[in-house]
Amino acid sequence: MGTKPVLVVHGGAWAIPDEFGERSIPGIKNAVKSGFAVLEMGGSSMKAVEIAVRALEDDTMFDAGHGAVLNADGYVELDAIIMNGKTLAAGAVSCIRNISNPVTFACSVLEKTPYVMLTGMGANQFAEKLGIPQVPVEELVTDHAKAEWEQYRKYKQTVKSLFNTELVHDTVGAVAIDCEGNVACATSTGGITNKMVGRVGDTPVIGSGGYADNLVGAVSATGHGESIMKVTLARLILFHMEQGDPGSNSCPGAGTRAWISCIPDECKTPEEAADSALHYMEKRVHGRGGVIVISKTGEWTARFTTKRMAWGAIKEGVLMYGLNPGEIIQEIIKPSK
Amino acid sequence: MSSPPPPSFSSLGCGSVLNEKGEVEMDAIIMDGKSLASGAVSAVKCIANPIKLARLVMEKTEHMLLTDHGANLFAKAMGVPEIPGEKLITERSRERWSKNLEPDSNPQEDPGTVGAVAIDNEGNVACATSTGGLTNKLVGRVGDSACIGSGGYADNHVGAISTTGHGESMMKVVLARLILYHMEQGMSPVEAADTALNYMKTRVGGLGGVIVVSNSGDWAARFSTKQMSWATVKDDQLQYGIYTGEIHTSSVAEALESK
Repeated sequence: MGTKPVLVVHGGAWAIPDEFGERSIPGIKNAVKSGFAVLEMGGSSMKAVEIAVRALEDDTMFDAGHGAVLNADGYVELDAIIMNGKTLAAGAVSCIRNISNPVTFACSVLEKTPYVMLTGMGANQFAEKLGIPQVPVEELVTDHAKAEWEQYRKYKQTVKSLFNTELVHDTVGAVAIDCEGNVACATSTGGITNKMVGRVGDTPVIGSGGYADNLVGAVSATGHGESIMKVTLARLILFHMEQGDPGSNSCPGAGTRAWISCIPDECKTPEEAADSALHYMEKRVHGRGGVIVISKTGEWTARFTTKRMAWGAIKEGVLMYGLNPGEIIQEIIKPSK
Repeated sequence: MSSPPPPSFSSLGCGSVLNEKGEVEMDAIIMDGKSLASGAVSAVKCIANPIKLARLVMEKTEHMLLTDHGANLFAKAMGVPEIPGEKLITERSRERWSKNLEPDSNPQEDPGTVGAVAIDNEGNVACATSTGGLTNKLVGRVGDSACIGSGGYADNHVGAISTTGHGESMMKVVLARLILYHMEQGMSPVEAADTALNYMKTRVGGLGGVIVVSNSGDWAARFSTKQMSWATVKDDQLQYGIYTGEIHTSSVAEALESK
């Protein structure tokens, strides 16, 4: 089989305090290893990103599934997306309650409905029909999330100040390429502390919180949700990577040599594309965030404009992870068999 | 899109397609090309003008999208009147709903989405889109019209788009943003729209229609479906059409007189 599988995960881009950072890394490593095990056995990138994100949802260190933050009414409202780069099929859920693994539910939307996105009470009713177990709120909420919620209610912090001071837990995500060259992405979140009831951020919005296309690559985003949406960050990064690529169907003159504006200098690597888009987001709409990106050839990157982002990647027997800008720690790992 | 004076309900809110339970459930988005600010609502019920609620999301909150129950709570907080659901249902929408309850029906068409794009005399572009979605859709199904980049997008650096058609296909290709990407690469609105619609047809098998305005005031109304009702006013000239290749022209003055 042609492609060497790669998996990258993130656990949120924000001003992660030291003790959180230390405690995030084991969760990141566990998630990337779980997801990569799927790829090693010849499994699909879709399955790999779902498994990786489930591991992060089950870990209360991260703001997704268990450990999610509370909205203004003290409830947990969850969003997630998963996308298949081969078919462009996607499943997304927004503002769902009492479900442990929103990413798996998003997968059900993709596989069991003709739709891309389900929301709110309708989504929860559909989950019930599918027999997805509803868990009580208490099971999803941590003491920390409750304490943070109480603090924000007291001081009436807003989204803007939250992202400026970056005092918020964040989203989790994964991108992968499997041995058949299929890419996929998945992103999951509990949103922002004390958000308005019904607030939906970038995570479940296709093209913003995530996007995957075999012709280019896959992206999962985290950070200031509203800013990510304004620039449709995931899709923007892939546009940068597409520019000047003769193989891309969405480029002008695709399949012919009649390029209108093929500028070789514009053709960007995942890192250049990510930096360019994040820089644009900061300049144009004053928002910060982080992304993980994988290209159709298996190149990957983890980039962020926030103080920190917990991330991990496995490629060719090497586990890499980091937290601080420019930091890449490597470990050789044994095959899981 | 302008709303009628209260209390009549002649916007899409009234007459929209119905979800599987026979209720009106709507998505809408509005976007400001200058700041990239945007407001959207998804799965809202009992609101006559969802686009107005979307605008309130943009102007009165720091968020971009409110959904379902939360959107309705916000509407209440803003003093937006809640209309009894039955008042938004018309004979036609009920008939269509009944017909599509038949087991062999396949309600894929999107007869109800409306939208607008504009450029003002300061060169600011904007877009707005509003819909009841797919007839007989699952409760809670959200289509492209609430999703920034899919149902609409506006950026003063390029232009503005509003889309209509098979929602899921438009989401898969992030249609509005894709068209603006082509325009950024140098295509005209017509070329960009046709390229993107053709891509959507070949890649995901979906049909749709778009209206586009560039930041220099060029515009296009293109569709891969059999028909799309559209109209444009530019330089005191009104143009409109329904079927492929059809363009009627008259002066705005004439059109107003004949009304």
